[in-house]
Amino acid sequence: MHFAGVDIGSTMTKVVIVDGDGAMMASVIGPTGAEHRHLALAVMDETIKKTALRFEQLDFIVATGYGRINVPFADKQITEITCHSRGVRSLFPTARIIIDIGGQDSKGIKLDTEGKVMNFVMNDKCAAGTGRFLEVIAETLGIKLTEMGELSLKAKDFVRISNTCTVFAEHEVTSRLTEGATIPEIVAGLHEAFAGRVVNMVRSLGIEKDVVVTGGGAMNIGLIKAVEQKVGFRVLVPSEPLLTGALGAALLGKDLLARGVTPERKRRLEGVTFFK
Amino acid sequence: MNGYRAYYVGVDMGSAFVKAVLINRKQIMAHEILSSGGHYKETARKVLDQMLSKGRVNFAELSGIVVTGIGAESAPFQARQISDISCQAAGCRSLFPSVRIVIDIGGQFTRAVKLTPQGKIANFLMSEKCATGSGRFLQVIARILRINVEDIGPLSLKSQSPVEFSTNCAVFAESETISRIAEGARMEDILAGVHRALAAKAAVLVKRLGMERDVVLTGGGGEDSGLVSAVSEALEVDVLVPEQPQLTAALGAALLAKEEKSGTR
Repeated sequence: MHFAGVDIGSTMTKVVIVDGDGAMMASVIGPTGAEHRHLALAVMDETIKKTALRFEQLDFIVATGYGRINVPFADKQITEITCHSRGVRSLFPTARIIIDIGGQDSKGIKLDTEGKVMNFVMNDKCAAGTGRFLEVIAETLGIKLTEMGELSLKAKDFVRISNTCTVFAEHEVTSRLTEGATIPEIVAGLHEAFAGRVVNMVRSLGIEKDVVVTGGGAMNIGLIKAVEQKVGFRVLVPSEPLLTGALGAALLGKDLLARGVTPERKRRLEGVTFFK
Repeated sequence: MNGYRAYYVGVDMGSAFVKAVLINRKQIMAHEILSSGGHYKETARKVLDQMLSKGRVNFAELSGIVVTGIGAESAPFQARQISDISCQAAGCRSLFPSVRIVIDIGGQFTRAVKLTPQGKIANFLMSEKCATGSGRFLQVIARILRINVEDIGPLSLKSQSPVEFSTNCAVFAESETISRIAEGARMEDILAGVHRALAAKAAVLVKRLGMERDVVLTGGGGEDSGLVSAVSEALEVDVLVPEQPQLTAALGAALLAKEEKSGTR
């Protein structure tokens, strides 16, 4: 038995294939373009190629993420909240709070001790507190998004960033630079401000151990340290923090089939022919 | 005081520009505006010097200076500080005695001030410190459309069907603009969409204060004909705009300096 999960996020499309035991066989992460449909299929193809499987051998495909309706070959669409929770709990059975920091949104999910979703909060209205915030400012500073974490760890102190709004923070950062602040100090300050915003949002759920951080933000060690500072204890981070949604989607497909839900084959084939 | 030989200065140190106005007991003698670029102190000195030389008045001859605005703390000269709300109100009231609502759309936020029929400040409200609530939103969009800020207004007025943004964040609106352009949206419709969004934010503030006529629009936003028209539409009234909308707070500051010294306006 083989199950696939497709997670179309605002910036990245992720596909995971698991076997009948729920063990990950293959995964691919590709950028989400304007052409969601086309891309989902391309990333899926690439993932299948990594296994010795054919498309027909996938027993159930679940799509998730904000672009989930644009996966015509999926058997079912499930919200990212449910998929993230399933994926994270499979890796960390003690998880009670999930903080997902994506490219264009951030969310907090609270789980009960059984792993059921109790409540969630989300910000997709404002770039502050999303990956976009760091992306915009990395560009202003002329550094790569991926090097921000390591850079910030070099700072002995951080520069306080008082503006929440990304546009104004960008301006503030340039002023601090001209005043002589170093890039590591500024980046550390950005992480501090960012973590404060996200943790404040999640605090409304009532923070309980363990806290797991996922999404692109979890790949930034400086941001993780700042989040730990704010919550007051160590947080858990999966080795592949971008994949938890797709992993959860694949596992939920497995759960569904086990409960006797039949995949919608017809729709899948229509979808594939649509793209030739 | 000896008539014409009494000079007063108002300096408004805003987030983007430093403005100064020189008056005597009868009229405005000179004014100056310079972009501050984050260097309040030097800019304020430059603005003051350039304006005084235009007006042919020496610093030592000034009878009073009032400084206002977000950067007032860093004024490089001894001056009384008065809140920008009071200055804005005094300046607008001197130009438009019938004013009851002042909307100030600046580089960092939008503010609405309500005045009593006697010209006293009744109440005021400010937008959140978010680029979508300020002139900055227009700058962000103008930059990616590669058009000059002064062309925004005339272009926007040509719009037949303003774009409606799906987001309330300037950063997300920037990416939305790029995809809308790719889909074939017209530049004027995008600008008019930004104007509508800004006008809607201003209208919310005014409605919360309670609408009264007349409404005066000041700040950099007053220079933008497209925004003026959008605000008029949102409030269903023709808003009044001073000839130099960026100068009203500095003018008010100068008038308050005069009032303090002579006891009259």
